Amino acid sequence: MTARPGPHARLTGGLLLWYGVLGGAAAWAVHLIAAWSLDELACAAKSERIAGVPLWQALSVAVFVPGVATVGSLLVATLVLRRTGQARAAGAHDRALERSRMLAVVGVWANLLFLTIIALGGVAVLVFPPCQG
Amino acid sequence: MTDRGGVVAAATGVEALTTEEPVGRPTGWWGMVMFVATEATLFACLLGSYFYLRFQHGPVWPPDGIDKPKLLIPLVMTGVLVPSSLPVVWAEHGIRRGQRWRLRAGLAATLVMGLSFMALLVIEYREDLTHFTMTTNVYGSLFYVITGFHGLHVSVGLAMIGWLLAASLRGGSFGSHRHERVRNAAIYWHFVDTVWVAILFTIYLSPRL
Amino acid sequence: MSTTTSTPPGIGRDDLARLAEHWDEPRSLRAWFTTVDHKKIGRRYLVTAAFFFVLAGLSALVMRTQLARPESGVLSPQEYNQLFTMHGTAMIFLFATPMLFGFGNFLVPLMIGSRDMAFPRLNAFGYWVFLFAGLFMWASLPFGAAPNNGWFAYAPLNQDQHNPGLHMDVYALGLLFLGISTTSGAINFIVTALKLRAPGMSLNRVPLFVWAIVATAFMVVFALPALNTDNALLFLDRRFDTHFFDPGGGGNVLLWQHLFWIFGHPDVYIIVMPGLGIVSAVLPAFTRRGVVGYPLIVLAIVAISIVSFGVWVHHMFATGLPQLSYSFFSAASTIITIPSGIQIFAWLATMMLGRLVLRTPLLFVIGFIVTFVLGGFTGAMFALTAFDQQVTDSYFVVAHFHYVLLGGALFPILAGIYFWLPKITGRMYHEGLGRWAFWLVFTGMHVTFFPMHLYGLFGMPRRVYTYRSDLGWDVGNLISSIGSYVLALGLLLVLIGVVHAIRRGRPAGPDPWAGDSLEWSAASPPEAYNFPVIPRVHSLHPTWDERTAESTTTGATKDRILSEGKRTLFTSELDARPERAAQMPEPSFKPLVLAGVLLVFFTALLLGAYPVAVAAVLAVAATIAAWLWPPRRPDEEIGIAS
Repeated sequence: MTARPGPHARLTGGLLLWYGVLGGAAAWAVHLIAAWSLDELACAAKSERIAGVPLWQALSVAVFVPGVATVGSLLVATLVLRRTGQARAAGAHDRALERSRMLAVVGVWANLLFLTIIALGGVAVLVFPPCQG
Repeated sequence: MTDRGGVVAAATGVEALTTEEPVGRPTGWWGMVMFVATEATLFACLLGSYFYLRFQHGPVWPPDGIDKPKLLIPLVMTGVLVPSSLPVVWAEHGIRRGQRWRLRAGLAATLVMGLSFMALLVIEYREDLTHFTMTTNVYGSLFYVITGFHGLHVSVGLAMIGWLLAASLRGGSFGSHRHERVRNAAIYWHFVDTVWVAILFTIYLSPRL
Repeated sequence: MSTTTSTPPGIGRDDLARLAEHWDEPRSLRAWFTTVDHKKIGRRYLVTAAFFFVLAGLSALVMRTQLARPESGVLSPQEYNQLFTMHGTAMIFLFATPMLFGFGNFLVPLMIGSRDMAFPRLNAFGYWVFLFAGLFMWASLPFGAAPNNGWFAYAPLNQDQHNPGLHMDVYALGLLFLGISTTSGAINFIVTALKLRAPGMSLNRVPLFVWAIVATAFMVVFALPALNTDNALLFLDRRFDTHFFDPGGGGNVLLWQHLFWIFGHPDVYIIVMPGLGIVSAVLPAFTRRGVVGYPLIVLAIVAISIVSFGVWVHHMFATGLPQLSYSFFSAASTIITIPSGIQIFAWLATMMLGRLVLRTPLLFVIGFIVTFVLGGFTGAMFALTAFDQQVTDSYFVVAHFHYVLLGGALFPILAGIYFWLPKITGRMYHEGLGRWAFWLVFTGMHVTFFPMHLYGLFGMPRRVYTYRSDLGWDVGNLISSIGSYVLALGLLLVLIGVVHAIRRGRPAGPDPWAGDSLEWSAASPPEAYNFPVIPRVHSLHPTWDERTAESTTTGATKDRILSEGKRTLFTSELDARPERAAQMPEPSFKPLVLAGVLLVFFTALLLGAYPVAVAAVLAVAATIAAWLWPPRRPDEEIGIAS
């Protein structure tokens, strides 16, 4: 922990922060486009299967994978919150620290929102028959 | 620090997590990236419309007895356009080191490849127009409008490349301290190339799936 | 003492003279056409958008006059169609967005402590295009050729065989033309906010108004292409016989609706978001404290602008898609209310915890909260699909979105006008006139639109040019029409107040409200270079913060005075660390010329003069090539390896 991170670790860390902030949003976008178009296209073709897989299973994948990605993003945002909190408690006061901390707060709440949206979509997959008009 | 645990610890330490990224990009770069983002959305809307109209249309696609698109010319077009990004990259790296000849040679090569692409597009159109036109049906509308709109973008990209070439031939325009315009035009050209791959898949390959 | 008051400490008189020499533009006709100053351009946006607002408002008054009594003959059905279409189109595209962009143009560089926008000439170009596109659309009205299909121009009614004449060509081309301005303005805002913030203004110290403008700009970048695609395909369908929206040729009318609402729902937030930003900027000055929960408001701004892209299908619940498809969108539609609620409660908390200073801008903010919440309440009613099907296309919908848009955009805009008028003109407005204007606008607005809920529920459809008297809608319509005159009177008082302030107002001084953000550290009206010394920002409320104030006086340093040349400071994207001093462009005719050539292009397309259009395209290319042509420099300066 005391060693100074190299340029690769810094770049990874910088990108990791953005994953923590916007990961949930990106996952939700993928979820929405995938689930919507799978459902529309399969039903428009009057079929409840996609390439042999039952439609509801394909839709579950389109819920589950983005859901996991959002949980990952949430964990990263929490990690940034903890690390910056520890650094602040240790007496560090620097703009980059405060900026990352604010972005992490935004990330935690944003990920909770997007996780809720994706989970509601998952409930809908379980409740509705896929092609009921 | 070469073991995995050390790398992870370094990347998740507070110093790495508070690294400023993105950083140090010029205003022109941001402007071009945002412009490309909005243009890419435009193409996404067009290609989305293609799939929407196709799947709402019914099982037979292309409709009305139009043949599935032939692949030979489009694949040659791909072979000409996609590699044309390489001379631009090479030229850009050259001018960053102050090598003007590399800028001129690379731009000229890209210009030739882009013009060949446009010539092939004309040949392709002359063949297709004997079978169907933009007004035949919605397939014809989609085919010509999407490929034509991309062709328009290639023309704009070529105008940029030609403009850069003219400015670099005059001299006193670009060097190791001044190459922002080269970089921005290169971003646009890479974008035009990338979009072509999406169009190749949508227009030419997807009717065969 | 008199010598030290004219020159602030920390900056020499010779520096001030040099800054003035590099930045001041002469007062000449030439300077008027060539200016690139963001403050002048911002002012022009405000005045021009207000002019289009007057035209669109007068259209509404004529319509209300027609509807005041049953079966009156003020307007023919054809005239009525054109007026309601132009009213909606102009209010949304030519008033709300450009007005808020005008505030953004004037204020963003001042709020972030910069001397101009990132691309000043692009900024001037965006203004000219906006002006020309607006005139292009309004000019069709005297010819009886104005758009006549409602502001969302549904297919198939927008097609040539159902709607011949130039009407919908004006719509499609006018909005495409205007889109150039909106897109270039949005990109300019994003880059300005990323690269031109004063040193020290890391992301956690960016004013909420700037966050709102940047989020709006991102929505424009990703939403407007859908509208542009729609309009381009419409024009091709009408003029060149393609079949995108024509079922006869295999096309689909629902494609228009999908593309339109992919744009349209984000557009609701494109209109409202900067208004919410104005509210967050006005509140601190009148509650004497920062807005409660800064990170949560940033979260709300970011989350709303992203989720707004995933709710478009809820405008189309009456079109027969699978129920499961709907539910993915209704999940997003439900959750988007949470960040909106966060903002409202944060403002209420700010007002409860602060000391209220009840001046006209705050009155309009309170009017905004009341009206906007009522509009949100009827909005939530539409989420009940059965109710939605019952009131679709009735006056209930008209009432709902006027509450949302007048509440969410007009009230904040009026608050912003009173709040920043002292900054823009250097003069204070008349408080009594302002209060009268507020009460008339507020009363007029509710008297006009509240009855619409009722006769909407009683079955009156929207977009009818008249109605029979036996349907029970007479009284409500008469009340609405009376209300609309009261509203117009209130808005006239706003205008009188502005003119009075400019003519007779007492000098306002740099900081009449004791505001918190950086524009209150600049002079009123600001110098051409905005800040003699670019400040070093130490907190979220830099004007309330002594260290920031000190950085422009006794703590001024050479690298933030930058008086050699027309220069401002570029800083890094997230933490605003100084990168380099950048040379800003001089005034130029090229933005005006380029916009003029584009006007020729679109007019030629409209009139079918295609060779002229081709010539105009070549002229556009030539103008851009000349605009960006690099100056010739010696090899050593640009760095050529021999």
